[in-house]
Amino acid sequence: MPKSLLIISRQSPWSGPSAREALDIALAGGAFDLPLGMLFMDDGVLQLMPSQRASALQQKDISANLQALSMFGVEDLFACHTSLAERGLSPTELSVEPLQVLRDQDIAALIDRYDQVITI
Amino acid sequence: MSTLHVLSHSPFADSRLSSCLRVLGSHDAILLCGDATYALTPSTTARQTLDANVGSLALFVLDEDAKARNLTLPDWVKSVDYPGFVALSVQYDKVNTWL
Amino acid sequence: MKFAIALYSPAHAPSSRRALLFAEAALAGGHEIVRLFFYQDGVHSASSNVVTPQDELDVPALWRDFVTQHQLDGVVCIAAGLRRGILNTQEAERYSRSAANLAEPWDLSGLGQLHDAVQAADRLICFGGP
Repeated sequence: MPKSLLIISRQSPWSGPSAREALDIALAGGAFDLPLGMLFMDDGVLQLMPSQRASALQQKDISANLQALSMFGVEDLFACHTSLAERGLSPTELSVEPLQVLRDQDIAALIDRYDQVITI
Repeated sequence: MSTLHVLSHSPFADSRLSSCLRVLGSHDAILLCGDATYALTPSTTARQTLDANVGSLALFVLDEDAKARNLTLPDWVKSVDYPGFVALSVQYDKVNTWL
Repeated sequence: MKFAIALYSPAHAPSSRRALLFAEAALAGGHEIVRLFFYQDGVHSASSNVVTPQDELDVPALWRDFVTQHQLDGVVCIAAGLRRGILNTQEAERYSRSAANLAEPWDLSGLGQLHDAVQAADRLICFGGP
């Protein structure tokens, strides 16, 4: 049985390469058919805002890759409800789906379910 | 399952400690190292938050960081050296470093 | 236990030294290190071009010596390395860059090596930030 890995992505897409590099870990694991989950938490939920325009900053747009995560074999996607609320984001208007929105206590249970975790 | 959460950022300018405490499981522990050890500074909000969790939170500190910062540790916090850090990473089912 | 150790910070970050001391303690405690994987700014911890003042700890040299002495698998992520200008001779030639700054004992490879290490190890431990 392969070990499962949860990637917790905590940075906004505009603060540097962390959002992209967290996603790269997920995509690489998906390519190897590994059991992965990805949780967006704290500023990481800002990656899920709809209609962002990376081209305005001459940056590559990662939202297409985020939306394609399930196609790359990463189907277990989660977002932290508290983080969304803190940042004025509605759980029903996110750019990535399907995605499960979790309360804090459920995140503790989520972390428990995975063999390893990377919080980036 | 149990997780050892490792924090190294100062709690005063950063949300990692408060986010960690929100999602902490009942069998989890926290290891404070680097500037995260400042969370034990008396009369701070961070310290008050940790004090409120005495009894339910297993809290560890990397001893070299507490020494460097001349921090007095409350008796309910356990100080560990590097062999102790390794032992904790074995004792807990996984390690979650808040990078 | 088998450890996979991932480093995300450069040599001047306290967490790079902390990772090294943890790795040393792991081996001293009879554990095994399956791989060291340097990602994000961790690639800078493998630079052969860091010049440390004589009265400071030469962390890149300590990492090099540690990996060499214990014949460990020290991998630097190629994508993270290229983006940050950490290149071995092969990549410097490939991209017509004037110099290489990644040498033995470090290997440049992909994120597959991180996943492979996670699968092979009992524990993954990451170091980064301050």
